[in-house]
Amino acid sequence: MTAILDISDVRKTYGSYAALKGVSLSVNQGEFIALVGPSGCGKTTLLKQIAGFEDPDSGHIAIAGADMAGVPAAKRPTSMVFQKLALFPHMTIAENIGFPLKLRQKSPTEIKKRVGEMIELMQLKTEYLTRYPRQLSGGEQQRVALARSMVSEPKLLLLDEPLSALDVKLKKVLQAELKRLHRSVGVTFVHVTHDLEEAMMLADRICVMRDGAILQLGTPGDIYYRPAGSFVAGFIGETNLVPITVTKRGEVGIDYRSADVSDADGRIAARLVAGNVGEGAAQLMLRPELLRVLPPGETADGVIEAEVVEMFGKGGTVQYRARSASGLALVVEIPGTSSLPMRIGDKVRLGFAKKDIYVFRAEA
Amino acid sequence: MAEEVPRRWRDPELLVKALPTVILQTTCFLAPLVMTFLLTFQRSRNFQLQWTWDLWTWTDIFSKPHYWTILLHTVFMAVACVAICLVIAFPVAYGLATRFKAWENEIKVLITFAFITDATLKIYGWALFLDKNGMANYLLGSLGLSPEIVAFLFTDWATLLGMVYSLLAFAIFTLYLSISNIDRSLILAAYDAGAGKLRAHWEVTLPLCKPGIWAGSVLIFLLSVGAFLEPKVLGGGKSPMSAELIRQTFETRVNWPLGAALTLMLMVVSVFIVLLFSRLIGLKRAGLAS
Amino acid sequence: MTKSWYSDLPQYYQRQIKAAGLDEAGLTRRRLLKGMAATAGVAMAGLSSRPSRAAAQMTYMCWEGYNDPRIMDPFKKANDVDIAFDLIVDSPGGFAKLQAGASREVDLVSSDMPWITRLGPAGLAHELNPSEYEDVYATFYDQFKPPFEPLLHEGKTIGVATRWGWVGPCINTDITKPEVWKTYDPVFDDANKGKICVMDWGDWPILPMALHAGIDPYQELDQNALEEVRKVLRAMFKNTRMLVADLTQAQKGLLDGSLLGCIGAGSYLTSAVRKQGHKNIIAVVPEPKNGLKQGIIWVEATAILKDTDQPELAQKLLKHVVSKESGHILSLLDSTCNVVTNKAVEELYTPEERDILQVDYMWKAWDNSQMHRIAPNIDEMLAIWQEELAAAQ
Repeated sequence: MTAILDISDVRKTYGSYAALKGVSLSVNQGEFIALVGPSGCGKTTLLKQIAGFEDPDSGHIAIAGADMAGVPAAKRPTSMVFQKLALFPHMTIAENIGFPLKLRQKSPTEIKKRVGEMIELMQLKTEYLTRYPRQLSGGEQQRVALARSMVSEPKLLLLDEPLSALDVKLKKVLQAELKRLHRSVGVTFVHVTHDLEEAMMLADRICVMRDGAILQLGTPGDIYYRPAGSFVAGFIGETNLVPITVTKRGEVGIDYRSADVSDADGRIAARLVAGNVGEGAAQLMLRPELLRVLPPGETADGVIEAEVVEMFGKGGTVQYRARSASGLALVVEIPGTSSLPMRIGDKVRLGFAKKDIYVFRAEA
Repeated sequence: MAEEVPRRWRDPELLVKALPTVILQTTCFLAPLVMTFLLTFQRSRNFQLQWTWDLWTWTDIFSKPHYWTILLHTVFMAVACVAICLVIAFPVAYGLATRFKAWENEIKVLITFAFITDATLKIYGWALFLDKNGMANYLLGSLGLSPEIVAFLFTDWATLLGMVYSLLAFAIFTLYLSISNIDRSLILAAYDAGAGKLRAHWEVTLPLCKPGIWAGSVLIFLLSVGAFLEPKVLGGGKSPMSAELIRQTFETRVNWPLGAALTLMLMVVSVFIVLLFSRLIGLKRAGLAS
Repeated sequence: MTKSWYSDLPQYYQRQIKAAGLDEAGLTRRRLLKGMAATAGVAMAGLSSRPSRAAAQMTYMCWEGYNDPRIMDPFKKANDVDIAFDLIVDSPGGFAKLQAGASREVDLVSSDMPWITRLGPAGLAHELNPSEYEDVYATFYDQFKPPFEPLLHEGKTIGVATRWGWVGPCINTDITKPEVWKTYDPVFDDANKGKICVMDWGDWPILPMALHAGIDPYQELDQNALEEVRKVLRAMFKNTRMLVADLTQAQKGLLDGSLLGCIGAGSYLTSAVRKQGHKNIIAVVPEPKNGLKQGIIWVEATAILKDTDQPELAQKLLKHVVSKESGHILSLLDSTCNVVTNKAVEELYTPEERDILQVDYMWKAWDNSQMHRIAPNIDEMLAIWQEELAAAQ
């Protein structure tokens, strides 16, 4: 696959604040990539450098093989959907959508035709064309904003948290819409969000950022099951991190011991261990839904003994909070139909399968 | 039937509540206007008001061109003042709202101070500055130029300078508010859509400033139309504007009916022009009128 | 005068402020009521009735200067009376105010003589018995002793003349010579374009121009005569550098040499500058032209109002105003200096003060001047003024 976007060692500093500390990223043609991270992580800054609203202090950005240094936003083959949508309040919907074409000196008939196509693509009603943005609902405005960014057929569509202001229900609808749109037009999407769940749903690859640097770049599965560290692991949903000590790092795996886990062989295969794990302190990640409550007499690859301290019904599942003898807090999520009801104060044995775990280096 | 009369008009509480507004509007606005209008049907003879109830005043106004010459001159000066104020204020306000954010407060305080300084002092200050022995000529002289700026004082240009100087702050502040209310991402969106700086200005910033431009223009226009100190002190009184004509009519001619009629004429023409322009720039259509 | 928030402003605005009652003395209920009565132009019968007073109290309507504390304080002290001042901005306005009902408040008026005389036919003035004022008239210049015709109405004396002066070209002798101004011709000389200042004081600049055109503005004028006035005003505006209502602006222009001459004013404009030491600024009177005297003598006079409830105090105050001591102060105020009608004042003048007031010149000015009265066709002439001013743009 060819890289449509190639970012290499981009740095950006505002005063004394380093917003981007050397970011490199390559995005393939037609890919849907999500930039995720907490606010201040540099994801929006990176987007601005790509769009051309700002120039990086150092490093290179190339789009479709062309270096973008010195190319103003207006001349880049990118298009942005803004967080606040940035629909022009003094223009009708038709004028808004047609604006990029008008700037490209297209004929009125062509503009009209293309705007009509976009309206259809975005499933908007044609009578909206003569209305003003404030006369439309939030979701409709969103579609108009998308239509305006797509109308000029950009090589790269940049989305700056466009869904963050919407309520949950509408957000779901528009997420599906974005996915459909991506599939149908085949344009490369770079989507900035602080919502990893959203990224999981939409993106082919996710780029998790923190403090101006990329922590991990991978498929949603990589990010969920094989996070590069506790930060990424904790960024989506709750997870259990069990402190372990790696006693030996070998070719096939590691030997470890833990105060909480009873494990017959004390070994974990190399494919379940992050590359940066050496001998010494590490963390063993257990997703709450992958822990099982063991019935008496049954056993598992690893077992943790704990006491139930709290429970929450979550509809389809029940979440238990438990504490091990060493004081480690654990979260367990099991189906509500489970035949093993527990009460607060019960002693339980929690088991997990070795294939469901992941080990990464303990962070300071 | 009495019961069918909408109840709210008979609601004593509502009447009492509305009373202050009604009284205020009537006494402060309507009554003086009606009295002014009635006054125009009287006459003045030998500095004394005579209750004649005839159309002499209006006949005079519509038969003598000089009232209209002065009015036209006034409107022309006011429009010129509005235009110059906008042209100067726009970059200033734009800079304030965008480029000089760090100095914003200091600059605002300075402008406010220049603004609240007594108008009389400011205008006389300009007169002294532009005077034959004033600073301007001294500077020109020391630069080796002929001190011909003396020809500037006591012209319409000097009047215009004074008016622009007095009223500029209105334009700066209204435009500043307008510009700083524009979402930055709208400008970025314009760039992103392919617009250069100028084009983005023309297509986005300016249209979005319309309410501010409009508010500032109306304010400046109406204040300009009433300018009397500037034409008198800086313009040398030779090219009077309507306010001075009205003052002369009231004070030196002691012709109150005529003065009242001239006042009404100025009011009607000003309001008409404001309405005409609001129609022209299509504020309502764009739905930007606040 | 004491220092106040407006005392640094030009004279014109100080007068406006005082007239509008915005000075600290002005904001009393009495004044507000009177102001309303005058502004509305209706007699507010009953509303503005006199508040009862314990000590004696008077209201004096006058031009600024007559209220100088150096004049008024001794009188107030000697007679245990409190005096409220109603300052006049323009004489017709003051007259209109009295007619509109303020005459019930005011006890004594000092204004331009034509307007004082008019109080007679308007039925507002208390007719004076000259014999009661023999002590006053004893030291007057003969010209103002009764029967002083301009102050008579149907043979009755309406008021007593106080200050006076002449209207003629005001010039700077460093750049022009009095001999040049033996007529008003320099006003119309193309060489003087942009060097003539005209006072924007109603009839004051119009009347001398009419006289120059050979029209006696104090007679009934026919259409032809008014056309002549129009022509002369049109010609005057051609050379006019500025029209000012503010004395200081004209004074400054004369001093700095940007103005060759100022018309529509006279001794009233020049004397204050002379007092500051600028003896090169003088007011002259042109010589008679075709038998028509070109100068104009203005006189201020003081009258007692008919409705006064303090006739004796009012008479006392009138006598005080024209007394030797008051006259001396009145003739040498800061804002303006003018000669007075009481000859005895001359004894008090230093040679310097005589020079400031051009005392040695004043009778020559008198001889070459008309006595100012109300011009019968002033309405028409003011309208012509406006038209020509608009056309001159």
